[in-house]
This record gives sequence, structure tokens and C-alpha cells, in this order.
Amino acid sequence: MALSTLEQQALAELDLVRQKPFRLVDHLGLVRWVSVFGAILLWEVFGRDVNPLFLSYPSAIARAAVQLVGAGQFTQQALNSLQVYFIGLAGALVVGIVLGLLMGRYRLAEYILDPFVYALDATPRVALIPILLLWFGLGAPAKIAVVFLSGVFPVLMNTFSGVRTVSSGLVEVGRAYGAGEGKIFTKIIMPASLPFIMAGVRLAVGRALIGIITAEMFAAVTGLGALLVRYSSALATDKFFVPVIFLALLGVILTRAVEYLEKRFAPWKETERAL
Amino acid sequence: MAAHDEQIIADLGLRRESARSLYDYPNVIRALSVLCFLIAWEIYGRRVDPLLLTYPTAVVQAAFALITSGELRRQMADSLTTLALGFGASVILGVGLGLVMGRSRIASAALEPHINALYATPQVALTPLLMMWFGLGFTVKAVVIFLFAFFPILINTASGVRNVSASTIEVGRAYLASRTQILFKVVFPAAVPFIMAGIRVAIGRAIVGMVVAELFTAITGLGAMLTLYGNLFETAKMFVVVIVLGVLGVVLVRATQALERRMARWKETERAS
Repeated sequence: MALSTLEQQALAELDLVRQKPFRLVDHLGLVRWVSVFGAILLWEVFGRDVNPLFLSYPSAIARAAVQLVGAGQFTQQALNSLQVYFIGLAGALVVGIVLGLLMGRYRLAEYILDPFVYALDATPRVALIPILLLWFGLGAPAKIAVVFLSGVFPVLMNTFSGVRTVSSGLVEVGRAYGAGEGKIFTKIIMPASLPFIMAGVRLAVGRALIGIITAEMFAAVTGLGALLVRYSSALATDKFFVPVIFLALLGVILTRAVEYLEKRFAPWKETERAL
Repeated sequence: MAAHDEQIIADLGLRRESARSLYDYPNVIRALSVLCFLIAWEIYGRRVDPLLLTYPTAVVQAAFALITSGELRRQMADSLTTLALGFGASVILGVGLGLVMGRSRIASAALEPHINALYATPQVALTPLLMMWFGLGFTVKAVVIFLFAFFPILINTASGVRNVSASTIEVGRAYLASRTQILFKVVFPAAVPFIMAGIRVAIGRAIVGMVVAELFTAITGLGAMLTLYGNLFETAKMFVVVIVLGVLGVVLVRATQALERRMARWKETERAS
């Protein structure tokens, strides 16, 4: 049965209708790029007209970045910050996980420690920075202490609630098969609460970054935070944006890395939570 | 026979008695723990140089001094006014822009790169620049608080709006609701649990922002008291401020949690759909 001309006509019309007119909703990627480039272009054009003491512009920032990295000064301060950051964070992870496990497993430990944990967790840690600088001086120990305190509570609280949600059935099965307390910890409780621990680590990474920048800005001696204060006092706005952008990238990279680890080590998160 | 029964019951009773352990009185353990800590601090703290470490009774004395002189009240009122203003602005703008971004995919695509970039930047790092732009007064503190609190509210509102089930909106359309009616009678109420969760996260960050801004501007507010007494090595007064900030944090977070429970009672059922 060949199509009648009328039917062919109708099909052609349908095809025409299917060839939709240009709609913005179908080109969201384009919208995104136009928005980003538009903003950078506007900033460049507008920023050149503003007093450079107050606002810089992208090409000046790029030039400043090349200059700072070339001079080696930026790299050195960044390494300094990162070193302190990772030492403090490692301490926070170890202490947070150990205390969290103890508090989750033993009620005595929970009751002894929880008043302090809740009190310190509620206190904005930035408020402790002046005291910590008083105790530890302006150098690395004070900054490590700030990073530690910023990071330890999210890890501790998450580990604690993770251990609490481990089903007692799992622990009993372990016992029934004659597992000792150490085995129960390492083979049952740790793996079962890992998703929670990783969620705590993700929070801690961001908070510790805020902690170290604030401490460095306040002490204003070494590190990226000190650079921020130095460049802003010198009204070198173009240089000021270099550490800001670096810190933003660092924040994204660290969070992504933890999310990746989370997916690798704790992929059973969703089913586990249903228990 | 009866005596034997009694005996058994007594035995059982005894056993039940002995089964009661210290764990049934967690608050006793907590109180003991805190008390031991305070006593140890008092004894140790009195021996250490008072410039570095203080002790509980000195902190209490300092608290009395700061309260009776009216200084604490004045600075707290100052801090809270700024907090209320900056936080209020971030709630209004965050929810407003969040609604727009949640409803319009174009707005979302255009704004998302900028929002993500700003959210990823530790806002603390921007404080020096903001101080250059807005000076050291009230404005810069409100702006810092705004920046700290804005993004969690915005991001939560947008994802709450996106999570509103399409069928609810279609029912609204079927009953011939206008676009504004759908926005305010269907979408907004359905997104309230997400918005409230964002507000709860934001209030904690707003307090951090307030302290940071006040630490650096160091003119008024609780954070400025910290800087001032830190420079004067009056450790006892610093502890008073830290404790006030801790209590303030707990009270505000609890208040938002209570509000969350009141305003978002259907949270769990909504999430299941």
C-alpha cells in the first residue's frame, strides 16, 4: 500500500514540527559557557576601569600568578600551608576515629567524654584561634592545633554515630563464631561504620581548610593566609586573587578526592543505611 | 512452700538489684567527669602563669565583671544585630534565588558555575578584600556573614525545588493554578524541609563568619573582645567570650532545629515519594 499524497503531506508536516525551533533549554551547555565567558569578559572590561587598588581583572591576575609562581615565593608558602594542613588533618583523623570508636562501643567512654565533645563541637573553633596562638606561638604548632580542632569533631561525631548504627546482629554473629574484641573491632565495626567515617572526613577536609586559612591570616607570618593579608595590606589586589583561586581549587580537589575514596571504600552506603 | 517461694523472689530481687549498674545513671558519670576536669583545671591552672592559662573560678569572676560592667551585653547586642541582618539577607536572597534556579533550567545553567566557584572558595579568604571594599564597620561584618550563610541555603533550596514531584505540580496545573500559584502554593511548601535543612547548616556557618569578621576588624562585637583581651593577655576574659559563643551556637542551632521540626513535619513521608 503506497502512501497517498495526503499522507505524505501529513508526514512532512510532522517532520517539520519535529524540527523544533531553537530553544535555550536544549543548549544548557552553551548557556553555561556563555555565562562563564561573559562574566570573565565583563570583569576584564569593567575591572580595567576601576581603580586597581580595589578590583583587579582576569588578565592582571593571570600575569600576577605567573610572576608569583615563577618567583617561587608562592610555591614555598603553599607547601608550608599544605604541610601543616596534612599533619593536623592526619592527627584529627586518627584521634577522631579512635575516640569515636571507643565512644560508640563503650558506654563508659561515651558518658565520660560526651559533655566535652558536645561543648567543644558547639563552640565556633575560630573563636579558639586567639587562645591557641597565645599557647603555641605564631608558628606551625598553633596552626596544626587549629587544623586538628577544626577537623577532629566532624570525624569523631560521624564515627560515633556510625558505630552506634552497626546492627547488634552482626556483632553477635561475630561473637558466636568466637571473635575476640579486637577482631570485632577490626573486622565488623570498622568496615560497617566506614561510610559514616568517610562522610565525617569529607566534612573535616573543608573545615580544616577554613581553620588553617583563618589561623594564618590571624598570625600573618607564614602560609597562604599570611600572603592574603600581606597582599591586601599592600593593596596588590591582582596578587591577592592568586591564593584565593588556588584555595578554591584546592578545596574542590580535596573534596573530590574524598568523594572518590568514599565511593571506592564505602560503596555499600545506601543499602547499609536501610538497616 | 510459701517461704521457699519468698526466698526465690528475694533471690530474684537481689539479682535484679545487682544487675543495676553505673550505666543506668549516665548523668552521674557525666557530672563526675566534668567535675574532675574542672577540679584538675583549677589546681593545675593556679600553678601556671595566668597570662597563659586561667582557671575556672577566675573565669567565673571575669564573667561577673564583664556582665556587671555591661560590656558583654553591649558587645553581644552588637554582634547579634549584625548576625540577624546578614543572616536575614542570606535567607531571603538564598531562598529567592534558589526558587528561581530550581524552577528554571536556563537560570540554573547560567548561574551554577559561578555559584559553585564561589561556594568552593573558602569565604574566609575573601575577608581582607571585603574589608578593603566595605571598611571596618557594620557593613563588612554583615557582608561576611551573608557570604558564609548564603550558599547552603541557596543550594538546598534549589535542590528542594528540583525534588518536588512532577505529579504534584501537574495536579496543580490540572486545577488551573497559575504559575505564581504553583510556585507559592505547591513548590515552596514542598521544598520547605530542604530549605530548613539549609538554614540549619547556614546558622552555624553564619556564627563562624561573624567571629571571623569581628576578629579581623577588631572594633566591636564578641570577636573583637577576643582579639582585645588576647592582646592584653587577659585569658580569663577570653574564656568568657568563648563560652558565650559556644552557648550562642547551641541555642541558635537548637532553635533552628525546633523550627525545622515545626515547619517540616512531613519531611520523611515526602522523601519517600
